[in-house]
Order: sequence, then C-alpha cells, then structure tokens
Amino acid sequence: MIFGLIARRIVYLAIVIVVITLATYFIFFAGNAQNLAARFAGHAATPQAIHDAAIRLGLNHGFWWQYWHYLVGLAHFNFGNDFQNAEPVRSELARAFPVTASLVVGAVFFWLLIGLPIGIMSAVHPRTKRDRAGTIFALTFLSMPTFVLGVLALLVFYYYLSLAGVHFFPAAGYVPLTADPAGWAQHLILPWLTLALVQAAVYTRLIRSSLLDTLGEDYIRTARAKGLSRRSVIYRHGLRAALTPVVTQLGIDVGTLLAGAIVTERVFSLTGLGELSINALFNGDLPVVAAVVLLAAVFIVVMNTIVDIAYAALDPRVRLS
Amino acid sequence: MSVTTELLTPSDPESSLEAAEAATHVEGLTPMRLAWRRLRHDRVSMIALGFVVLITLVAIFAPLLTDLIGHPPNTQYSNGLTLYGHPIPPSGQFLLGTDDLGRDLLSRIIWGARVSLEVGIGATAMALVLGLAFGLISGYFGGPIDALIARFMDIMLAFPILLFALALVARFGASLTLILLVVAFFQWPLIARLVRGQVISLREREFTEAARAVGASDFRIMFVEILPNLVALAVVYATLLIPVNIVLEATLSYLGLGIQPPTASWGNIIAEAQNGDLYTIAWWMLVFPSVALFLTTLAFNLLGDGLRDALDPRQGRSHVTGGGSS
Repeated sequence: MIFGLIARRIVYLAIVIVVITLATYFIFFAGNAQNLAARFAGHAATPQAIHDAAIRLGLNHGFWWQYWHYLVGLAHFNFGNDFQNAEPVRSELARAFPVTASLVVGAVFFWLLIGLPIGIMSAVHPRTKRDRAGTIFALTFLSMPTFVLGVLALLVFYYYLSLAGVHFFPAAGYVPLTADPAGWAQHLILPWLTLALVQAAVYTRLIRSSLLDTLGEDYIRTARAKGLSRRSVIYRHGLRAALTPVVTQLGIDVGTLLAGAIVTERVFSLTGLGELSINALFNGDLPVVAAVVLLAAVFIVVMNTIVDIAYAALDPRVRLS
Repeated sequence: MSVTTELLTPSDPESSLEAAEAATHVEGLTPMRLAWRRLRHDRVSMIALGFVVLITLVAIFAPLLTDLIGHPPNTQYSNGLTLYGHPIPPSGQFLLGTDDLGRDLLSRIIWGARVSLEVGIGATAMALVLGLAFGLISGYFGGPIDALIARFMDIMLAFPILLFALALVARFGASLTLILLVVAFFQWPLIARLVRGQVISLREREFTEAARAVGASDFRIMFVEILPNLVALAVVYATLLIPVNIVLEATLSYLGLGIQPPTASWGNIIAEAQNGDLYTIAWWMLVFPSVALFLTTLAFNLLGDGLRDALDPRQGRSHVTGGGSS
C-alpha cells in the first residue's frame, strides 16, 4: 500500500517538476535571451561579444531546445553551470544547503518547543486568562513580519547589548557546525528565534483549535468516564488525534523553508539557499534560480508524502489506500 | 405588507420609506446587522476597527497631510542632516526624525501607508474575486471541471510563492501593478479551496433544490442563491488576507524587489535603515516604520478575528497563513 502511495507521488512530483521548470524557463526566456546574453557579455560589449556570450550560455538555441537540454541534464542530476562564474550549480547548492538546513532544523525545534505548550495550554483551559495570554502571544507574532522581528532583534540584542558591554550575539554570518559547534549555535541563535517565534504564533493557533475540537469528541468523554487520569486523556487520547493538522502544516513549512528561508537569511546575512537564489535573481542567473525553485518543489512534495505516511501512524482510522 | 409592494407605490415616497423601515424592523435583524451588533460589543475589535479606519484615512489623505506638515516625502532637507551628514533624531521640526538623505520620516511613513493599503486591499480583492469564481464553478459543477481545477490548485500550492514572486519581479521589473497581480495570482487557490468546500455542501441544501425545482438556471443558482451565503466567509477571509498581503509587499520592498526608492514604502525604509548598519546611529529609521507595519497588521488581524466570532460564533478558528514570507 505504501508503495502505491509513493509511486503515485513520484508521478505527481514529475508533473510538478515539469510545470515548475517550464514556468521558470518561460518567465526568464520569453523574449529575454538577448538581454541575458548582453548582461553576461560584460559592460559596453560589442555585438560580437554578446553573440559569443549567447553561444557560451546556450542562449542561441530556441526555447524548446534549451528546455529539453535542461530536462536531459536533470535526468542525470546535472543542474547545469551558472551564468556568472560558469561553476556547476550542484556545487553551489551543496555549499548553501547546510546553512539553510541548520537554520531550519534549529528553528523547527524552537517553534515546536514554544508553540506546542502554549497551544495545549490554551486548549486545555479555554477562555481563561492563560488562554487569553496565548492569544495575545499568537496575534503579536502573527502580525510581526519576519524581517521586522529580525532587524529589531539585531537592534536590541546585537547593538544595544554590545553598547552595554555584552558581546554575545554576533550581527551576522555563518560558522559551519563541523568547524566550531559553539560558534555555529551562537551565530544561529538570533535567526533561530526570529524564525521560530513567527512560526510558533501560527502553530499555537493551529494546536489550540485542533485540540479544542478533539477534546469535544465523544471518545474523550468515554475516556474520562472510564476513569482515566486527566493527563492520559489529554495527551494519549486527545493530543495524538489533534496533531494531524499540525503535522500537515509542519510538512508544508519545512518543505518550503528548506529551499531557502529567504527573509531570515537576508536579515542575518546567512549564505543559504535563500540568499543564493535572491542574488541569482538580481543577476538574472537562470540555472541557479531554476535549480532552487525545483528543489523547493521537490522538498514540498517529499514532505507531503512523509506527512501522509505519518498520518497512518498517528491516526489508526487512516489507512493508506 | 412586504417591502417591495410598498416601494412600488410611487405616490407618497416619504411614507413608503417609513413603511420600508418599519417592515425591516418587523422582519427582524438581518445576519449582517446581527453580526454588527455583536461586533460593536467587542471592545478589542472596535479599537482595531478604529485603527483600520484611521490608517485608511491617513492613506487616502496622504498628500493633504504631508502638505499640512509642510514636508513632501521625497524632498531632501539640508537642515534634516547633522553637520556630519547623519540623520537627525525626532524633534519639533521633524516629528519622527529624518532619514539618511535628510527626508522627513513622518511624511515618508504616511506615504508608505498608501502603498501598503493599495497592495493589501487591491491584491486581496483580486484574489477574492478569482477564488470565489473558481471555487463556485469547481464546487457547483463537480465532475471533470472540478477535478481539473482541483489538480491545478494542488500544483499551484506546491509552488514556492515568494521565490516565484521574486522571479517575476526580477524579470519584469518591480511595479505596483505587477506586485498586485503576482500576489493575487498565487493566493486565489487558497480561497477557491475554501469556497469549493462550502459550495459542495450548499449545493445539496433545500433552498438550492427549491430554486432548481422552479427552473432557475445554473447561473442564477450560483450567483443569486449560493453566493450570498458565502459573504460571511469572504468578509472574514478578506480581512485576514489583507495583513498577509501588506506583509508580503513590505517583505518584497525590504528585499529590494518591491516598491523602488525614492517612493516610500515601510519595507524599503526599513531596508535603508539596515543598509550599512544605519540603525546603529538612527534607531528611529528602524523603529517607526516597524511600529506602523506592526500596528496595521495587528489591527487587521484583530478585526478579522472579531469578525469571525461575530459572523459565526460557532465556526472553528483557523488562521490564514501567508505562505512563505519567512
């Protein structure tokens, strides 16, 4: 059964990849090949130089030829070379991915750590002071754009604290985990919390509403009636079923973020996939953009598949068919 | 005595108006008036509504307000910089201080409100129209049309939104119209999906069957019978989407792919403040636009929350999530 699901997802993934790469190519190429060639021929280039650049970048061929060529490369896991430095896109992705992955994994840890308890508390004590406090937390950070939270965090924790003599929080940059684990965490703590707080706001709301619904179900009343402890009713019977929509959202969010937490990376100058793609966009570096967009779609679909499998584990009523 | 027969009597317009009023009172409150009554008793929602009205007025009368202040948003003042060429802090002359080019920050924030609301409301309205149309068609007709639209929406929802918005903007150059179109284009599937679910259940209700029995056309059933039932959903969803879109515009502008300087937007003012760590000598450039952005988004979110409770107190609380502006 599980293989059937995976097989169907692979077909779906293939369709999504074709649609997405086609859209990317179309956005970039529709009447734009000449501009791109001129851009990479350098300043005040002669027509000959522009022509040479077009040949070097493969822009002299027709749209469909280029796109086909690209798909054939993809089949061999070859993303092509970037326009800027003629470096394989694959190695650029390999360099940027650990940065983004570090950011996302840490942030997920913190946002669940913050979001789950607040959401559960709100749902277990609805319409009380504690619930209201949870709501205020959620609405505050829901209304706070990521970049605003990030720059304010820099202002307070980097600038004002260093004025006060505390030089704990660095302004920006990334230190590889393998080189210096402490430095890695120190450089990532502000980005982690920035991303985590904004996401935690969404999750507290999600968990609250889902758990509130579940706790109103008949089988919860049954569990209570047969004398189970409060803890067992809430966590074993309630939370387990209530986590389904949370897991869905988590899958989507992690999938999207792994392809680049664009804003957070920009605020804290982390050289992850987000920065890579946005710089490529500014430079019109199509192969890099196409690769990141593609990666994003793959992550989203893969995460969705994992989520579907996780459903069956969480909810015995769901069987993969 | 029904309202329509009274209004059809042209002889005495005043008494017919009164009668119409009386008739509505006899009929009881419409769901909309009931909702308004509930909303009016919700203090938080009313404060939020007040702020939304205020910021809307500021946006509409931006030219007038900056004339009153006497500082147009893009004028650089030599007395707006210190001897060293640094921005000056909030003072009597420049209430919220100046930016690195000696421009009045207050005027720029006022004009920024205009951009924010134009994108926030404009994009939401477009997404709503598209979402309602496709959701209605998909849910009402079902079958292959529904399957096709549903597949298309699935693929759209697998798109990395922010990245694609950026790609389009990078390719075609940033403009207000493009941002509006891009945002609306990527958001309608979210609304369509919600509308579709509602339409599927409304399609089977008695009043729809009754309309079909008396020979109403599909078009009439969709727009006259079903659509009015979607108003509450649409109002709540729109109110919650506006802040999402305001944040999206601010984010694009912050990244340098939205509203281009010298036109002021809250996002690009914040980007200027971070450029070269300018905020370390001019905190006001960072703090004031951030506060404006935060309060506006918060007000819309609170209002949306209140509206949902007022329109349908039993409806589940689900939050609209922006999708990708992190």
